[in-house]
Amino acid sequence: MGSLVKPSTGGSELAARKQGLARANGEAHERLAAMRPPEAAPPPPPLPGFAHFQRYWDRENGCWAVKILPGEYYVTRSDEAISTVLGSCVSACVRDPVRGLGGMNHFMLPEDAAVGPNDWLDPAIGLATRYGSYAMESLINDLLKLGAVRERLEIKLFGGGQILAAMTDVGGRNIQFVRNYMALEGYKVAAEDLGGTNPRKVIYFPVSGRARLRKLRPVENRIISRHEQLYMESLGKQAAGGDVELFE
Amino acid sequence: MARILAVDDSAAMRQMVGITLTGAGHQVQQASDGVEALEIAEKQKFDLVITDVNMPNMDGITLVRELRSRAGYRFVPLLVLTTEATVERKQQGKAAGATGWLVKPFNPERLLATVAKVLS
Repeated sequence: MGSLVKPSTGGSELAARKQGLARANGEAHERLAAMRPPEAAPPPPPLPGFAHFQRYWDRENGCWAVKILPGEYYVTRSDEAISTVLGSCVSACVRDPVRGLGGMNHFMLPEDAAVGPNDWLDPAIGLATRYGSYAMESLINDLLKLGAVRERLEIKLFGGGQILAAMTDVGGRNIQFVRNYMALEGYKVAAEDLGGTNPRKVIYFPVSGRARLRKLRPVENRIISRHEQLYMESLGKQAAGGDVELFE
Repeated sequence: MARILAVDDSAAMRQMVGITLTGAGHQVQQASDGVEALEIAEKQKFDLVITDVNMPNMDGITLVRELRSRAGYRFVPLLVLTTEATVERKQQGKAAGATGWLVKPFNPERLLATVAKVLS
């Protein structure tokens, strides 16, 4: 990269001051440049199956990042961040510290209405539990396939806020599910920030395991809640179950 | 009523599959990976095996292949229940000798209907 500070040939005080100013200017430019994606370093190649995620340059953390939406999860072994905004949804940040590989999901439970001719009202097997388990297993399975070891998984949990007072405690249900799931599967919680009334922005660095959390102002609740509502409405069909194929 | 071996490394999944099948009157034995499943399947006789794919020690596709190579399981229905939904993985399952492939999220009615179909 070419320097903006030209070498000074003059020996006068003025020239020296100019040089100092120019250097300060140059440093400021370099600082700014550090906040933009360096041309020499394109985003790390995505893992198979995750190429459709858009990467953006996170100025604050000086790294590439991926933003995930409700219902999505992302896995990486590169030095990049995964961010998301959580209202009543929950996110599990999962990684294998030895393999330097991890990911994050973002989900909520569908309404636990009985579907089909039979009632599946046993909460251990209701639509909500089935879908929640699927959301957790999808992320964890992808990590295990890439060489992560189950016993080593470090899991951090975020979200589950009750962001609208009028709503039933959707966040609380999500928290209860994820705690039950962790206990049932024998996973330890490495860190958590769950519940409360604020939405959260989470930035997770899977390679280092660091998670940065920012509580958002309640003024943003309505927008976040609207997005989650749309996600909830689309969930019913998706959560109902996958395809069945019988081979000949 | 059938004797069914359900194999999954996830305790949450084992619980859900177990409740569904016992609720429908079946007898269910559980295993948490392919190696454990194979040991149990060699000691006892089952009418049906339902297995996950991604598991430690021995994955579900290998388990299906191993079971098919044993005389006692040549004609026993072997169902795969997994998050894997790609054509390639299904082909691997079929080639290993699986009877059918169910994609998660797990649906109790669909599982019971499929079980009834392959057992008849």
